[in-house]
Amino acid sequence: MGELDGRVACITGGTRGIGRGIAEAFVREGAKVVINGRSPEKGAQALAEMNAGDDVHFIAGDAKQREFCEQLVDATVERYGRIDILVPNTGGGDNYSPLQDYTDEAMQDALVWNFWHTFWTMRRALKYMIPQQWGRIMAVSSVEGKMGKPVVSGYVVGKHAVNGLCKSVAKEVGTLGITVNALCPGAIETDLMKEFGPGAAEGMGLTYQGLLDQFADESSIKRLNTVEDVALVAVLLASNAGAGITGALLSIDGGTSPY
Amino acid sequence: MGKLEGRVACITGGTRSIGRAMAEAFLREGAKVVVNGRDAAKGATAVAEMGGGDNVAFFAGDAAKQATVEGLIDFTIERFGQLDICCLNSGGVQNTAPVAQMTDEEWNLEIDWNLNQVFWGMRKALQHMIPRDYGRILVTSSVEGKAGKPGISGYNTTKHAVLGLVKSAAKEVGPTGITVNAILPGLIETDIVLATGPSSAASMGITYDEMVAMFVADSAIKRMNTVDEVAAVAVMLASEAARNFQGCMFPVDGGTLPY
Repeated sequence: MGELDGRVACITGGTRGIGRGIAEAFVREGAKVVINGRSPEKGAQALAEMNAGDDVHFIAGDAKQREFCEQLVDATVERYGRIDILVPNTGGGDNYSPLQDYTDEAMQDALVWNFWHTFWTMRRALKYMIPQQWGRIMAVSSVEGKMGKPVVSGYVVGKHAVNGLCKSVAKEVGTLGITVNALCPGAIETDLMKEFGPGAAEGMGLTYQGLLDQFADESSIKRLNTVEDVALVAVLLASNAGAGITGALLSIDGGTSPY
Repeated sequence: MGKLEGRVACITGGTRSIGRAMAEAFLREGAKVVVNGRDAAKGATAVAEMGGGDNVAFFAGDAAKQATVEGLIDFTIERFGQLDICCLNSGGVQNTAPVAQMTDEEWNLEIDWNLNQVFWGMRKALQHMIPRDYGRILVTSSVEGKAGKPGISGYNTTKHAVLGLVKSAAKEVGPTGITVNAILPGLIETDIVLATGPSSAASMGITYDEMVAMFVADSAIKRMNTVDEVAAVAVMLASEAARNFQGCMFPVDGGTLPY
């Protein structure tokens, strides 16, 4: 008997990294899960690796598009009959420059990826969750949603905005059986980090390894976090026992953020 | 297979309310548990009600006394051979005088119960845990560890102070196998709140029911929290999987605290 038996979850991203870790943990606890990504090949590979049969479903599409974000939530309901858990998870930063050189386009892109996609999926999911008086929304934010590193201001701003959104919406739906929280992980060496970390590091005048070491040094545990750390909290929040936790910005950063 | 199989826990307080719910959850997950309280009769009742057989024991004594806190840890190690999880959970509102009228004696009662207890227990537990390179220390703070209400300055002060202790100790044991974390529950109508709530409320110039309503109104969920909501977080933080949670202040307050 899993803690999420009968529950249906939708995760933006989810073929790899944190979203994948959360998806696997949800499936283990008995939930049905929709994951997402742009590449059908990576989606097929993720499904094969997860080996969860009909309990996991992949929908290809770009979470930077509003229409797709809304379709993804709708398609989850079409596939599994309801949506109980929404994890706006995709996000990142691929522009690394000091603010005086930051372009409008780069800032827009960072906000669409990190903030707008969270807003679009959350708004759509609430249409289903409010009538059923049950829901769990957990946005994957970041330690950078509470702190700030140089040259990734778009990412930092987007994650701070996600945290504000969660706090506000938590108060709106607080009495409706729906919780809204932000997960704030420290640095994790996901595929995304391997892809974008070197550019961010260069912008900070560091090597990639130097950037990872800096994240580790800033933590209390002196090492990076893992996707399993995030999945542990995600399962707790999604469970019935998570009903009393909302509007929280949960640090999963090995003791990095001071609050 | 429980999440705490083979682990040994001790809990200051624990015959009732939050500590009791933690004890029951730990037992369900396979741990051996020692609970504590001042009243031997209540202790015997609690042990009988929990139905944990030889896996649960009671240690009598006042958690505001150093001899009790240190004795509880010694007793736990004697009885079950080790100590893996130390929950410094006892505490409450001892006095409700406005700061202008507070006596040194009243002030020190609160410091001993809510702060020194945690220090005595943490120090002693760490001395046992550091050589074994494994441990989970959980401190029950409060929503009042970050906020503040009139008339309960001793409680507010000490619940803030234990968060400082947690953060500092977490950095000392940082990368080791020991973690130190705090849980911050919102108002729960425990026996201790039923006992001391009326005088707290009177010091605020309101009735007990009005005080409860004030806490509820401050939350997003517009209800009190439950002991089971706190116990679920305790199980997570006490588990081996939570190795990367360090110095975390985990709110279980229904969206009350802004940070």
